[in-house]
Amino acid sequence: MKTKNVFALLMIASALTIAAVVANQKARAQNTSLRPTDKKGAMSANAAGAKTNNQWYSIFVTNIPPGYRDWTLISVAREEGSLDDIRAILGNDIAAKAYREGTLPFPEGAIIARIAWSYDASQENNKTFGKAQSFVAGAPKNGVQFMVKDSKKYSETGGWGYAHFNDGKPADTSFMQSCFPCHDLVKSRDDVFTRYAP
Amino acid sequence: MKNYLVPIIAVALTISAIIIRQRAHAQNVSSQSADKTSSASAETVGVKADTPPASPEDSPVPVTEIPAGYRDWRFISVAHEEGNLHSFAAVLGNDVAIKSYRDGKLPYPDGTIIAALHYHHVPSKENNEIFGREQSFVPGDPSNIQFMIKDSKKYASTGGWGFGHFQDGKPLTDQAKIKACFNCHAKIESRDLVFTRYAP
Repeated sequence: MKTKNVFALLMIASALTIAAVVANQKARAQNTSLRPTDKKGAMSANAAGAKTNNQWYSIFVTNIPPGYRDWTLISVAREEGSLDDIRAILGNDIAAKAYREGTLPFPEGAIIARIAWSYDASQENNKTFGKAQSFVAGAPKNGVQFMVKDSKKYSETGGWGYAHFNDGKPADTSFMQSCFPCHDLVKSRDDVFTRYAP
Repeated sequence: MKNYLVPIIAVALTISAIIIRQRAHAQNVSSQSADKTSSASAETVGVKADTPPASPEDSPVPVTEIPAGYRDWRFISVAHEEGNLHSFAAVLGNDVAIKSYRDGKLPYPDGTIIAALHYHHVPSKENNEIFGREQSFVPGDPSNIQFMIKDSKKYASTGGWGFGHFQDGKPLTDQAKIKACFNCHAKIESRDLVFTRYAP
């Protein structure tokens, strides 16, 4: 009987995990899964490494939100200087809706993603145009960043959980300390720099 | 016995979740042509850039309506054009386009739509003030929106692609200018006339 119970529980856990993963990865309309309850569930189901450092998880985002590459375009930008990249800012449905409706502060569950690439002169475009004018996104650069709104979990950092991933790995704590103080300079826009491109 | 009902229900829920997602996805596809079999002909139809239209049938057909919901499409890439254009381009694709890009399939099937949202390229004063240096450039006012719509029959005279250019919501209908779109895009025939590559 006990073995049966354990088996049943394992089945439920794996089925729910699969459901969560599938729903997240394919979802365009429902990117609500990063809400605290779901995330907690997903992390305990995935287990590995989640319990090694509770403090870390209480401040920063350490899981890449699934399906972010399918999210809605918020805007693009070019950063010169040491960053030297060209970037796109995407938002999940909650974030995109808040942007379009001008809702501030951003509601719980809003996630904003920043993807960046090397700022490359396009030889093939320039060849076609007959002049050097075209710059395009090259290889991924400067990691992938996220801001996840959860005002309870991330109350220390203005209600936003910050994330930076290099090759899928979260950046170290010292690096992460710099996110919030800078973003908090645009407090009037709920710590979000990017404006919506119409 | 009861213990086994729960996992069965869970699996059933999983399957229904997948089905719901796939349906929702399918609904996002707009103006997809039913005629998928003819997509291969797009390649053979491709007219050389330096070949002027010889007969009235060769007249380019401009895209005169903005495809619905394009601003919700998925992101393909971003670009900056210097010179006279001095623009930012955000390139989005409908579901058919995104799938083709990710699968690396050429030619693009009928129903593919690629949107280029163009904005003026302006420095961000507010960002630069915070950073304490000039480094940040963002989209300013929109300058125009362009579309490429794949319909190998309707747009046979322009490589199977319909070209659309909208300024303040109004379409460009000048056939010579539409032809100019095609002539330049035809230079990249090896990628089915599409310049933009997918940003990973």
